[in-house]
Amino acid sequence: MKKFTAALAAGLVLAIGCSDTIVSSENSPTSDALKGALTQAGVQTLTLGVLANDRALVRGDLSYLILTAIFARDAYRIDPNEPRYVSETLAGTPDPGGFSGSGGWTNGYVTIRAANSLLTALPGAVASQVSGAQRNVTIGFVQTIKALEYYRLLELRDTLGIALQPDDPAVVGPIVCKTTALSYIAALLDSANASLTAAGGSTTLPLTLPSGFTGFGRNYSTAANITLLNRGLKGKVDLYRGLDHQAPNAALFATAITELTQALGGAAPGTVPASQFNTGAYVTFVSGGTENSANPIDDSRIGVNPKAQAALQAGDTRSSKIIPRSTIAGGGVTTSVTYVGAATSNTANLTNPIAILRDEAVVLLRAQAYFENNQFVPGLADLNSVRTTYGLAALTPADVLTLAAARQALLYEKRFSLFFEGPQRLVDLRAYGLLKDGVTPPEVAGDPFNTAFPIPKNEADARGGRANLTPTCS
Amino acid sequence: MKIRTIILGALAVLAASAAQAQQRRITGRVTGEGGASEPVGGASISVVGTTIGAYSGADGAFAVTVPGSGSVILRVRRIGYTQRTVPVSAGQNDISIALVRDVLQLEAQVVTGTATAVSSQNAANAVSVVGAEALTRVAAPTIDNALQGKVAGAIISQNSGAPGGGTQVQLRGVSTLLGAYSPLYVVDGVIVNNSTIANGLNVISGAARGNFSSSQDQSVNRIADLNPNDIESIQILKGPSASSIYGSKGTNGVILITTKQGRAGRNSIDITQRVGRSTLGNKVGARCFQSGAEYAGWAAAQLGATSAADLAASAADYDAAAIKCHDYEDEFYANNSLAYETIASLRGGTSGGTTYFLSGLSKHDNGLAPNDFYNKQSFRLNLGQTVGSRITLHANSELLHTLTQRGVSGNDNNGISPGDIFSATPSFIELRRQADGSFPINSSGLLGGSNPFQNSDIIKTPENVYRLIGSVSGNLSIYASARQTVDASLTAGVDSYADNARIVSPATGYTEQGSFGAQAGTLFNSDANIVNANVNASVVHRLVMPAFTAQTSGGFRRERRQSNITQITGRGVIFPTVTSVDAAASTYPSQAQGLAKDFAIFAQEEFFALSERLLLTAGVNGERSSSNGNQSKYFAYPKFSASYRIPMLPSFVNELKARIAYGRAGNLPAAGRQTFLTTLLYEGTTGARASTVKGSPDIHPEQAAETEGGFDVTALNSRVRFSATAYRKVITDLLLQAAIAPSTGFTSQFINGGQLTNRGTELELDLTPVQSGRFTWVSTNTFSRLRSNVDSIPVPPFNPGVGSFSTSYGNAWIEQGLPITTIQAYNGCKTALSSSGACATANKIIDSHAGDANPDFNAGFSNEITFGPARLSALLEWRKGGDVVNLTNNYFDSTNLAADTLTSQTRYAAWRAGRPVYVEHAGFVKLREVTLGYDLPTRLTSNMLNGVVQSARIELSGRNLKTWTKYTGYDPEVSNFGNQPLGRFQDVTPYPPSRQFLISVSTSF
Repeated sequence: MKKFTAALAAGLVLAIGCSDTIVSSENSPTSDALKGALTQAGVQTLTLGVLANDRALVRGDLSYLILTAIFARDAYRIDPNEPRYVSETLAGTPDPGGFSGSGGWTNGYVTIRAANSLLTALPGAVASQVSGAQRNVTIGFVQTIKALEYYRLLELRDTLGIALQPDDPAVVGPIVCKTTALSYIAALLDSANASLTAAGGSTTLPLTLPSGFTGFGRNYSTAANITLLNRGLKGKVDLYRGLDHQAPNAALFATAITELTQALGGAAPGTVPASQFNTGAYVTFVSGGTENSANPIDDSRIGVNPKAQAALQAGDTRSSKIIPRSTIAGGGVTTSVTYVGAATSNTANLTNPIAILRDEAVVLLRAQAYFENNQFVPGLADLNSVRTTYGLAALTPADVLTLAAARQALLYEKRFSLFFEGPQRLVDLRAYGLLKDGVTPPEVAGDPFNTAFPIPKNEADARGGRANLTPTCS
Repeated sequence: MKIRTIILGALAVLAASAAQAQQRRITGRVTGEGGASEPVGGASISVVGTTIGAYSGADGAFAVTVPGSGSVILRVRRIGYTQRTVPVSAGQNDISIALVRDVLQLEAQVVTGTATAVSSQNAANAVSVVGAEALTRVAAPTIDNALQGKVAGAIISQNSGAPGGGTQVQLRGVSTLLGAYSPLYVVDGVIVNNSTIANGLNVISGAARGNFSSSQDQSVNRIADLNPNDIESIQILKGPSASSIYGSKGTNGVILITTKQGRAGRNSIDITQRVGRSTLGNKVGARCFQSGAEYAGWAAAQLGATSAADLAASAADYDAAAIKCHDYEDEFYANNSLAYETIASLRGGTSGGTTYFLSGLSKHDNGLAPNDFYNKQSFRLNLGQTVGSRITLHANSELLHTLTQRGVSGNDNNGISPGDIFSATPSFIELRRQADGSFPINSSGLLGGSNPFQNSDIIKTPENVYRLIGSVSGNLSIYASARQTVDASLTAGVDSYADNARIVSPATGYTEQGSFGAQAGTLFNSDANIVNANVNASVVHRLVMPAFTAQTSGGFRRERRQSNITQITGRGVIFPTVTSVDAAASTYPSQAQGLAKDFAIFAQEEFFALSERLLLTAGVNGERSSSNGNQSKYFAYPKFSASYRIPMLPSFVNELKARIAYGRAGNLPAAGRQTFLTTLLYEGTTGARASTVKGSPDIHPEQAAETEGGFDVTALNSRVRFSATAYRKVITDLLLQAAIAPSTGFTSQFINGGQLTNRGTELELDLTPVQSGRFTWVSTNTFSRLRSNVDSIPVPPFNPGVGSFSTSYGNAWIEQGLPITTIQAYNGCKTALSSSGACATANKIIDSHAGDANPDFNAGFSNEITFGPARLSALLEWRKGGDVVNLTNNYFDSTNLAADTLTSQTRYAAWRAGRPVYVEHAGFVKLREVTLGYDLPTRLTSNMLNGVVQSARIELSGRNLKTWTKYTGYDPEVSNFGNQPLGRFQDVTPYPPSRQFLISVSTSF
């Protein structure tokens, strides 16, 4: 009897004593993994998470490459099963609730969240595995990619503004105007640059980068080379801050020239050799398998806008980027040509890399900054270094007597050098106010000359509707 | 030890007054209606107003020692008999007490807490009790089937006619969108697992595509494993007002199963042998082509064979066929082999205080399709032992094995489901096995050669489950006096099973070749290990005073649920005899683990007063769980109830009780506590980032608060019992997935919010119209209706994330102000139809209340007539209303192969024009059970086997023999996605229903 009671009592004590109900996840890692001390392998995995999700934005969201090219009147996509490629681009406005208007947003912020989480966790990385200098170079790299992501989002939304993401995931950040967003991105890039400087130029990232960052003439594993990408992006941002028609700031053109020159390793105007044009950082693609992330431009429904082909100057070897295709028509537009990278007959197109920033683009951006800064001679030197590479005669100062003429010359080179490489053409047309009736011919009757994508409906809904979404810069 | 001494000391002081004075001994005998020839053992005899009591022995004899010399009142209770109170005068020391059988089960003990129960006469809740006899009157495949039509407030629906179960029990409606939706099952104090382990059918059916199992695997919920024959009784706590004691697992109600125990007295051995068969219960039919020209016209329209040469070739194909009009359903669903069931049990006890119940079961059911079956073996040993006068120990264990082969049925995308194949095969195509043993390739032209006869011959889908459910419990009488008792009890139990499901689909199959080409030859191997363990401890103090009785109980419960499911799919297995995925060209592994721990403490006070007419109860259960965002936080689930047996009734009323109860229960969040990391590959290297579903650190259980009230009346000499209950169940803090601003880097988050209300009425009417000598007629009837309303949801209206197809057919839809069981479908077209009669999806008008899956009401009518040794019983279930989305019709309509082509094509045209033609009323009346039994006369049995046979009985029984319905599909009880909280209503080429006939012989030794 006593024994039984004792056993019962012991059982009770045991049962209550071990009664904790704390269980952690067993199936899948949780964000708790970010809170502990990061190992080198953790830094590797999480950095790749950031880059993989940036790729998801570039390839997965229709808006980033394809719809912007349609807006910029370089491309068509004509699909009898999906007329919205025309009806929501050239013949109507994008629907914020789906298809054209809802993309190019979430993936960007998921990338930024991934970067923010990693940046929060990095100071706590295991010192024996990730040194202080390596931590700094990683911070510099990840922050540069984060700035790139914000810039991509702003390329799509322009004056509608973008949301800034606080580190606290529970807080919905404000939607800020373009001017504020550009300043924010510039500050991010400068902060990243400070970390890179602190790391020391020869410090390498404690991780293996995808081939897009190592295999195109420059290995971005070192702080010094990451700085080149960082300064290139900063120069680009400062150039467009200077051109921001809501708050133009001419002083920034000189800053942009300095930064873009740094990005080119100090090369003087006109001295960057053609062999270096493809040097840069790229997004790379893998077709099939579990990863199955092919280049999205490899698409039989894509065509080149015939007006783009017509704009090519005689003898321009970049004409090889436009090739014939079977005629496609729909929604009031027709084409019989396409981009060479869209031809599905060439399976290599599935894995064509797309540049994040390459030196040819940097040279042209610097030319643009020089022209805007009224330095036509160095501007022309850079412009001609590109132009002559493609079999065209160099322009003379007499050809670019006015800024308008210089801009026109420059936009031609940018259009075809960077054909189908991202929203740069849309950004330029918008910056110079060219996307409007009377300046650019309408594609179809009622062409609304879309310049940007709306704030997606799910974002607006979560903020209580559409009111006060478009910020004003104070 | 010290604490115990103090408690006992205190109790001793309290009891001091009682432990005095002189005592006397009363002896007696309890008998049944047969008088001395029918002793009643195991009856409880208690002295009213005290805690003193005793049990009668096997010979019915008992003895109690009572204080004082005055008159006392004895209360005698025994399950199966009506309780009696008998006055014993001062001078009387010997008494004989005869009990009357309780045909209407008025006297069941109803659970009120982990260790407490009250007589149903006093119960404050409408707890349904289903006894062994009602459960096993007609052998049922599973216990949930055995409950169909017998419980007011329960909607019990089979998912399909496939052998081996797959049945959903809903008590008092749908109580959740994302949480657990099954009632909690508790067997002898052990919380048992009722999970559905997907068996991998998807890897060959492609119902949900991909290489893993899915919710469309036509799987079985595992309560099906239990052996119904071992059950003594089932109590159903229908909602939180009664199930509050189970805290955050109580929202959906609790089904408490008590298994049979041994009894002191002579050994009784019962053996039952059943033999029978299942036949096709219903057919949907198919078009019969009458001529070559008719077929050629079909082929032109369906296959594009429009040229003159094509038309001639089509007609020639038809003309060449030996049989023009195959009835594929009759040909295929013709598995006529015998079903059998052998049940044996031994029940007894020793004079040394040991009781034992030992049982065994071997069962074989057939599916309708060739090679489909369900085998079950079960062994149970329940032991009881008293140690001295204060300790009782029990050990219960059941060892089970089931082997199920259910073949292929339900939705598919690979043309493999027999119903899908029949809907695409013109009637003259021969599919049966040829004389040379081969199977013809299906030349339909709409399929990749699929032949269901070949598939059922070569595809194996065995699922083996080995399960052990065991518990040990001990009761200790810590203290007992005439006025007070203190008892402690401890129960520990484990439910553990291993479920191994395999799919072997050889590369030689035409479907396999058509679906997977070079990757033909599919294997699937799933191993699931599930372990549930729980420990309950409680202490009950009972104080009996002349004016009142107070029962105080308290204790704790711990639970641990662990699961590990590993699956691997292999494709491209070219060797038909190889069943190891090692031989596969490519493999797809997956693993899912789960671990949850709960801990609850509870306290309860039950207070009887006014001569046990008034019962007041208050209790609270505080519980924490690892499933909550805050794993350390306690959530409280209180309950209050009152019942009053009204005195001074007119003479024809025996009892009238009014009752009211309120209780809260919860439903644990199944997901959403954490933010997981999603892995992404970049050039083959793994990257990771936070998932877009944000974790909710404060996610907590859904809260259900139920108020229930009603009255129970017994009248006309206990020949009539009527019970009426109304309830209102309000579920707040619903678990939902809400969209959040994507600029945070997350798109959604699990949240608690919104409110759902279920209101319902439940009626029970039990009658004994005739009870005279050899002739008895007992009628038990149930009725229930339920209405639900989504009072609020903090998110926009949405199609819940349960398995469903499209609004074109009918989808579940959650919107404020509508019932939770709403079906949304297109109804109409905004614009003129296209020249082909179609309405573009964008132009279809959405009708957000095109149907409702909830029936208007559910009623059960059970009648049993006994005439001497003969017995006839029948159970009818009537379900009025409720809609089902009949996609099977869409299969036949789209191929124009329905039996009635005119109706079919009119319907198809209406559907293309945007009408919700596949949302159908699915009310029915089913003849669930029929039994005709005959007890062999004693003069016959007494000569059998040297007189050891006590009784023998022969029965003829049938299950689901007849369905009356306007529903045009196989069976209005259907669910393509198996058990799910919402969206059960989808009918996609299911396994057809069967009728079962059984002959059984039962003998008692």
